[in-house]
Amino acid sequence: MPEMKKERSEAILAIRGLQKSFGETAVLRDISLSVEPGNVVSIIGPSGSGKSTLLRCASFLETADGGDILYDGQYALRDGVYASKGDLNRFRTLFGMVFQSFNLFPHYSVMKNICEPPVLRGKDREETREKAVELLRKMGLEGKENAYPCQLSGGQQQRVAIARALALEPEILYFDEPTSALDPELTGEVLKVIRQLADDHMTMVVVTHEMPFARAVSNRVIFMDGGYIVEEGHPEEVFGDPKQERTKQFLANYNR
Amino acid sequence: MKKILAVLLSAVMAALLVSCGSSSGNSGASSVEGRTGFIMGIDPEYPPFSYLGDDGNYTGFDVEVCQAVCDYLGWKMTVFGVNWDEKLVQLDSLECDCVWSGMTILDSMKEAGYVISKPYYDNTQVLVVKEDSGFSSSADLAGKLVAVQLGTSGEVLLNGDLADLASTFSGVVTCDSFLKCFTELAGNSVDAVFVDLPVAASYAAEHEGYKIIDEQLGAEQYGIAFRSGDEALCKAVEDAVAALVENGTYAEIASKYPDVVNNLIFLND
Amino acid sequence: MSLLTMILKMSEGLGKTCAIFFLTLLFSLPLGMIVALLRMSKNRIVSFVTRFFITVLRGTPLMLQLLAVTYGPYYLFGAGVSRNKLIPVVIAFSINYAAYFAEIYRGGIESIPVGQYEAAQVLGYTRFQTFMRIILPQVVKRIMPSVTNEVVTLVKDTSMAFTVSYQEMFTIGKQIANSQTSFMPFIVAGVFYYLFNLIVDRVMGRIEKRLDYYK
Repeated sequence: MPEMKKERSEAILAIRGLQKSFGETAVLRDISLSVEPGNVVSIIGPSGSGKSTLLRCASFLETADGGDILYDGQYALRDGVYASKGDLNRFRTLFGMVFQSFNLFPHYSVMKNICEPPVLRGKDREETREKAVELLRKMGLEGKENAYPCQLSGGQQQRVAIARALALEPEILYFDEPTSALDPELTGEVLKVIRQLADDHMTMVVVTHEMPFARAVSNRVIFMDGGYIVEEGHPEEVFGDPKQERTKQFLANYNR
Repeated sequence: MKKILAVLLSAVMAALLVSCGSSSGNSGASSVEGRTGFIMGIDPEYPPFSYLGDDGNYTGFDVEVCQAVCDYLGWKMTVFGVNWDEKLVQLDSLECDCVWSGMTILDSMKEAGYVISKPYYDNTQVLVVKEDSGFSSSADLAGKLVAVQLGTSGEVLLNGDLADLASTFSGVVTCDSFLKCFTELAGNSVDAVFVDLPVAASYAAEHEGYKIIDEQLGAEQYGIAFRSGDEALCKAVEDAVAALVENGTYAEIASKYPDVVNNLIFLND
Repeated sequence: MSLLTMILKMSEGLGKTCAIFFLTLLFSLPLGMIVALLRMSKNRIVSFVTRFFITVLRGTPLMLQLLAVTYGPYYLFGAGVSRNKLIPVVIAFSINYAAYFAEIYRGGIESIPVGQYEAAQVLGYTRFQTFMRIILPQVVKRIMPSVTNEVVTLVKDTSMAFTVSYQEMFTIGKQIANSQTSFMPFIVAGVFYYLFNLIVDRVMGRIEKRLDYYK
């Protein structure tokens, strides 16, 4: 029996036939993908193509209408039916999420933003603190421990948000257009941090409009349009030699 | 900033003081010649002198007499319900031409320049208690709570001539209408109501379970108040009342108010 | 009567004015939050009923509500009238102000970006933790100016207690005004209310300042 539960145990996240509509509008029609440990998957595509919704379904922020979502081979969603609340909470500990608009808690200092979630989950206060200091150093934010989000630039805020997600030690990290709300000169510092994480073999799914970044960092690129995965593959294939007409058009617009 | 505020505040206060100082001297001398209307200021909740009748129109002894006076003088009468504790201010601001509603004549009114008619009613204050309360004299109410209507002579008495009696009570509750005093009594939140005798008599007659303590406290008289400078208007009304007494109309009206009739000065001279 | 006697006499009632003020805040501030949460309930009936009560309480005069709470039980059920008027007065004030606070809270809660809830959810906060730790502190900061407004109004509204014969400062002022045929007590009352609100303004300003450490 146990082998029935664990299917494709190598994938941290597996999605099969995922469907989601807002009212009459189908946003995701039959999406399937899996993310193996250490991989970086980029999802690109025009706005409204459903790529953000896909991430939000994977992180349970949206309720999917049909299909399967599996974490470590266990069903969080099976044929459109969600697992128990307790199970979902357990799955939530597996992933982290970085939002387009950072969503830091404005009334908390940088340190409290990062430390409170692990401490609430029962982690040791001192250990968490030490880890937070280390994470901030990695993010290039030494000395910002006691700052409040409003005192930081957008790029700094987003790096705090990444540190906050990492402090919970997720197996997989989702980025929902992490640089779209930033001034162009600030995107670099955030992308650099994500690239660093990739070098450390952090498993990540990145929804992005930064094509050169996606090409350089990803193991796999997924091009979505109209709720479908139109094309996917190694970045050199998708960017260098796209097979689908729709992909070519989209990339042509970007390369100008 | 604070200084500016302080200056502004004192300016406003000063303006208020000046305006209220002048208001009592408001000689809105309304003429009698050519007068076509007369606004009677009443406490609309003061039976049997003035109250809202079953037909929805104001009635009562004072209202009927005033109507007769206006009929006699050929004026069109309008009844205006005043806020009793602001009655003189409303009179000054021309909202009514007189206050005529079981109003006790106070020295302070004359001092403030108001023209007050000849007294027409000898009033005494009494205490009303519940029949089953066992109270039979004002002394029994020592340590008890007594209600009085704000702005009535009863309230003035308890703060002045009858302060010694008031100090034996555990407290005096002032209500903004006479009906509320009796509601408090009915709901047992006070032990007695201090009120004008005719009001007490008519209330006790209409409602079961109340009695008047047979002790007349503080004798006063009722009169009609006019604005300063309105001596002629006052005289006209007084003369009209005298004529009504003469022709029997006054006694006829009084006969409808058995609680009132014994204390009417013009009928008992 | 000298001005000093007048002020001293009215100060006696000031204690009762303060009692209405502080007790009303003590009860209406938390009650308002409960009402706000019921109002935003996903249960349609709960939300509708709460909304109805809010409109009634905001749509009818406070004076009427004071009369209803104080004398209503007597007229409707023949129950006694409360000897200690502070009880019905504080009940009426608390319910009325809770309705106003509820709408302020609701506005504040609804103004918090949905991203805050989403971040909290993904980070593993329970719904209760999210509300208490993330949402409520931000709501408090946002609604402070509107709450200050209501508190200032409350100071002045305490004078309405005279309508149910509660002997607070303004009632005593009216009594003196009557017996003395004088306007002075009203000026004294005005100064009292003004000074009271000056203090309220200070205190609220200080609280707002303490919440100023973030935007």
